[in-house]
Amino acid sequence: MGGAPWAVPVPVPIPPAAPGMDPAEAEFLAEKELVTIVPNFSLDRIYLIGGDLGPFNPGLPMEVPLWLAINLKQRQKCRLIPPEWMDVEKLEAIRDQERKEDTFTPMPSPYYMELTKLLLNYASDNIPRADEIRTLVKDTWDTRIAKLRLSADSFVRQQEAHAKLDNLTLMEINTTGTFLTQALDHMYKLRTSLQPGESAQSQDF
Amino acid sequence: MPSTQKPMRYGHTEGHTDVCFDDSGSCIVTGGSDGDIRIWENLDDDDPKSINVGEKSYSFALKNGRLVSAISNNTVQIHTFPEGAPDGILTRFTTNANHVVFNTDGTKIAAGSSDFMVKIVEVTDCSQQKSFRGHDAPVLSLCFDPKEAFLASASCDGSVRVWKISDQTIWPLLQKCNDVVNAKSICRLAWQPKSGKLLAVPVDKVVKLYRRNTWENQCDLSDNFITQTLNVVTWSPCGLYLAAGSVDGCIAVWNVDTRQCMERIKHERSYTICGLAWHPKYGQIAYTDTEGNLGLIENVCDKDGKKLSAKVPSTVTKEYNDLFDGDDNDFLNGDLTELQSSPKVTANEEDDDDDLMLASGRPRHRAAILEDDENSLDTALMKVNSNLEGDEDDQADGLSVLPGSSTQRPFYDGPMPTPQQKPFQSGSTPVHLTHRFMVWNSIGIIRCYNDEQDNAVDVEFHDTSIHHATHLPNSLNHTMADLSSEAILLASESTEELASKLHCIHFSSWDSSKEWTVDMPEDEDIEAICLGQGWAACATSALLTRVFTIGGVQKEIFSLPGPVVSMAGHGEQLMVIYHRGTGFDGDQCLGVQLMELGKRKKQVLHGDPLPLARKSYLMWVGFSAEGTPCYVDSEGIVRMLNRGLGNTWIPVCNTREYCKGKSDHYWVVGIHENPQQLRCIPCKGARFPPTLPRPAVAILSFKLPYCQITTEKGQMEEQFWRSAVFHNHLDYLSKHGYEYDENAKNQAAKEQQELLMKLFALSCKLEREFRCMELAGLMTQNVVNLAVKYASRSRKLILAQRLSELAVEKATELAAAEEEEEEEDFRSHLNAGYSHSATEWSQPRTRILQNDQVEDSEEGDAAEEMEEMTAVQRHSKKYSEANKKDPTVPPGNVLDTMSKASKKTPASTSRAGNKQESPVLKPLIPKPKSKQALAASFFQSRTPSTGDKTMEEREEKAEKDVPETAAAATETIENKRPKTGFQMWLEENRGSILEDAPDLEETEIIKEGMSRFRMLTSEERMGWTEKAKGGTADSNSTEVKKRKRPLGASDEGRESQEEKSKEDLSLPRKRKPLDQPANVKLSAFAFKQS
Repeated sequence: MGGAPWAVPVPVPIPPAAPGMDPAEAEFLAEKELVTIVPNFSLDRIYLIGGDLGPFNPGLPMEVPLWLAINLKQRQKCRLIPPEWMDVEKLEAIRDQERKEDTFTPMPSPYYMELTKLLLNYASDNIPRADEIRTLVKDTWDTRIAKLRLSADSFVRQQEAHAKLDNLTLMEINTTGTFLTQALDHMYKLRTSLQPGESAQSQDF
Repeated sequence: MPSTQKPMRYGHTEGHTDVCFDDSGSCIVTGGSDGDIRIWENLDDDDPKSINVGEKSYSFALKNGRLVSAISNNTVQIHTFPEGAPDGILTRFTTNANHVVFNTDGTKIAAGSSDFMVKIVEVTDCSQQKSFRGHDAPVLSLCFDPKEAFLASASCDGSVRVWKISDQTIWPLLQKCNDVVNAKSICRLAWQPKSGKLLAVPVDKVVKLYRRNTWENQCDLSDNFITQTLNVVTWSPCGLYLAAGSVDGCIAVWNVDTRQCMERIKHERSYTICGLAWHPKYGQIAYTDTEGNLGLIENVCDKDGKKLSAKVPSTVTKEYNDLFDGDDNDFLNGDLTELQSSPKVTANEEDDDDDLMLASGRPRHRAAILEDDENSLDTALMKVNSNLEGDEDDQADGLSVLPGSSTQRPFYDGPMPTPQQKPFQSGSTPVHLTHRFMVWNSIGIIRCYNDEQDNAVDVEFHDTSIHHATHLPNSLNHTMADLSSEAILLASESTEELASKLHCIHFSSWDSSKEWTVDMPEDEDIEAICLGQGWAACATSALLTRVFTIGGVQKEIFSLPGPVVSMAGHGEQLMVIYHRGTGFDGDQCLGVQLMELGKRKKQVLHGDPLPLARKSYLMWVGFSAEGTPCYVDSEGIVRMLNRGLGNTWIPVCNTREYCKGKSDHYWVVGIHENPQQLRCIPCKGARFPPTLPRPAVAILSFKLPYCQITTEKGQMEEQFWRSAVFHNHLDYLSKHGYEYDENAKNQAAKEQQELLMKLFALSCKLEREFRCMELAGLMTQNVVNLAVKYASRSRKLILAQRLSELAVEKATELAAAEEEEEEEDFRSHLNAGYSHSATEWSQPRTRILQNDQVEDSEEGDAAEEMEEMTAVQRHSKKYSEANKKDPTVPPGNVLDTMSKASKKTPASTSRAGNKQESPVLKPLIPKPKSKQALAASFFQSRTPSTGDKTMEEREEKAEKDVPETAAAATETIENKRPKTGFQMWLEENRGSILEDAPDLEETEIIKEGMSRFRMLTSEERMGWTEKAKGGTADSNSTEVKKRKRPLGASDEGRESQEEKSKEDLSLPRKRKPLDQPANVKLSAFAFKQS
């Protein structure tokens, strides 16, 4: 009689909030972003928890979440229209701007990295000059990550209490966020445990 | 003989275009921004030889079999002519050259570039270069002195310079001549041929003539005809005439002697003239514009004029010649710079005139001698001459003026005929493109690739479930195509060996041979094609329209009243647009035929004129997805057939309003009425899109051009009429037995009534009571009742009074119609005349059941409301009864069942099913018979409920064959039926009605009779009915019972029944609950009352 019918299902304990996010989790969030596709089938409006989609008219561009776009694309049910910023000239300008400025420049999309990766992986045939775009976005990303490292480094070196970082995207924060906070924790611990030792030493002298 | 202007033709893509004749004048050569140099045998040459010289050709020059072109990689190249083989690079600049010219003997070229440099290069030895620096801005144009002493150049810095070639000294002629607004004009200069005595410079609206060596402004040529800046000038080969072209498309030709304007020609589209060339022998001028078009003017300054003007001055020159003879040698090699240094030479006006006359009027064989005159300009001598020859001057003037006036032909100033536009396929891009769209419609896209290596057609379907994408070889060189969900139709023009062919790929055929071809008779070219449902059609150059079945059976054939422009098909409808006649002043004169090719064939539009915007031509023609004819003109106005107003055309959208730039356009690919969408492709700076990158479809909304659209009133009026216009197709569909979405119809009616109510409220607020009444006239009865309430609440009692009268009127009308129906229902009769009894203003489509919302808003009001609800039920009954015919539909919410019914219809095959799922793009498929009957029962008639089989059959047949006479048919059937109670009553009481009102017509008698019959008590009426039925009453009475309890033991039903009996009105009609909420409300109301 183990499974008593009246037994209340035990709620699964929610794990304590992880200090950071997986890249996969960030990607999952990015999949809610809307992208434009041209479906090659017709379907009435579909009603989903996240909201209604459709109606799908063949040959007519429409906006759908990225996850659906990828799904349809994989089944060859649509053609993808790349976002406006996913254009070699525009990305070159963004990259140059990013290299020129010391601070972070605003990105065309808060999920630019995730969108680029997913769209180029699954729909590169619909994106003109896909390879160049990949390189450009990677360049921009590298520049920004380098900046981030540099600022973290100076932050730690100068033992600042706080720093302000604008225009960072979720993915970027997560690449260093976890490590940096943990590292700061460790350093704090080391410092606090070091402090008495130092003072003892000084006392010795 | 007046000059004739041949119609312009497409030469190149948009952009600067140059033109010249070859040395012998046998062909016209043009160079355009598409990088091609084309050699045209004549203006009608449809297959010019093209030499590709680069990505973009800025300018070219032709002489002695050498073609020099300035192209976009900053070089000046030579090609052989006419073979077009590359022959090396002559020179390079740091940026592109703007103009290249040959010298007279073709040994040197001069090129002026945007890097401010002018170079002269030996054609045979490109190491021999001379560079001229001095301009402070890009060089616009150049011109060699025929004697090669000078080179003239114009530049963006506002100056025209004359360079002395030998020592490269510079003396600016028109330093900072601020008139030359070079952004406006490319300022093509020209030296007078042979003598080079005069240099013509287009400055603003005049052509300034400068005299050689003195560089004085000898005179100006101008005319009132020229209203914009002049762009180019060119001399006639004889040096007698000068032609100039302006930026607004005017070309004027002057006789330089008399300074009289001899020709005034207006470009048909007023594009900027950027190239002018005079035929080396004949009086022809070829010209090009910045849109890449090529035109030709013939018989310019014809022979007679030439003879006269050539003869007269020759006598004069002889005398001059003698006079000048002695002086020639002294100054033959005179120092030019010396002359230049004394520019104060002030020969008086008469002198100038003389010289000018001499120069231009001189016979050729004397040219060599006379040319020396110019070099021997001497102030003193000139003065002497002028004094000496005072008399002669007069004489000369008199002589030259006289023939001048005689050469001036009467200038025709009236309307000019417009060249007729060529036939085209809707949704195609120009045929000459190597990569082009043959068609882009709501089914798919057909692209044509016509490269050297490949000539193919690519078919792609928007909906891949219709058919997969296909790639076809295009060996027959098809130029026209159409695409439907059944077939691909291709057509080619005839060639020398092959006849014009129609090729159909019927992919939806169920047998294995899916293709067929038909050859046209000899000398008959297909000019336009289209596909409908189950048929294909083509219009040919023999002014015939040929109709085929989709399987290839030849069917109807009919003559067109004029050359076809375009045609379109949809379902059973075929629309042909043709030239009805010649348009004038840029207008086209088109006619349209619209016909139905279904079972009963008829012509809907009998060659009516097709309204187009002024000076525009047709760009697109087709049907909306719902089957309403539409077309788009070159001004971007979309027009749609308004079936609600006697098949007139209504402008529904102006795409140019959505354009950002002036040269941007929208290329229409499809029109949908529900939802209202204008699907088109935005084209930046072009009229049509390129195939690559793949263009994306944009959606524009429609807007009727109503007045004061910024005000609330204007907006709502626009919305109301747009809604009305865009739902006309529902009436059409129902009339033609197509299935359609009833939901949409109800929605539309609701929307329209809401808008009317809003407008009513607005007018009420503005104290516009008369306007309120007018608006109420458009409303349905239910909404009028609401309006009554609104009026009485806003204390407009007179209005309320009038409105309630109107409401009563409407109610009686409605009831009369209803009654008629009811009566006939007893006789299991189809009432075809239902909608005829409606008033002129109330559109039948608006009499639809009322929506819940309206009911909600008025709950808890007095008895008039009750009436309203009953009216609602009256309406709804029709629907629910119709639904009852479909046994699978459970009674319930009417809207629900309706949508279900419409969803259930997909036909048997999966492919067809797929097609039908798409609510917008599907072709309309006529329903199976039973459905047809169902649909018919919704809107015009009732299917018989007591099954008189033969009657029904006959009736159906009658309806199918002659629905127009359906009413008549029903009448005949009526006579054979057993009489109804009403009829019997009417027979007895007809006399009394006629007594009261002797001048009533038959229908009015019936109406009157009905209202009287209704005033009888229900028992009395029942009695009449029973009487009428007599023995056959059995089945009918059971039916009546059934109708009394339509929902069986439904509580609400019973309640409403009870309530009904309580009610004063005690309507004789048995109600059927329309939908639950209404019923519940009704019963709740009843309880409240009691």
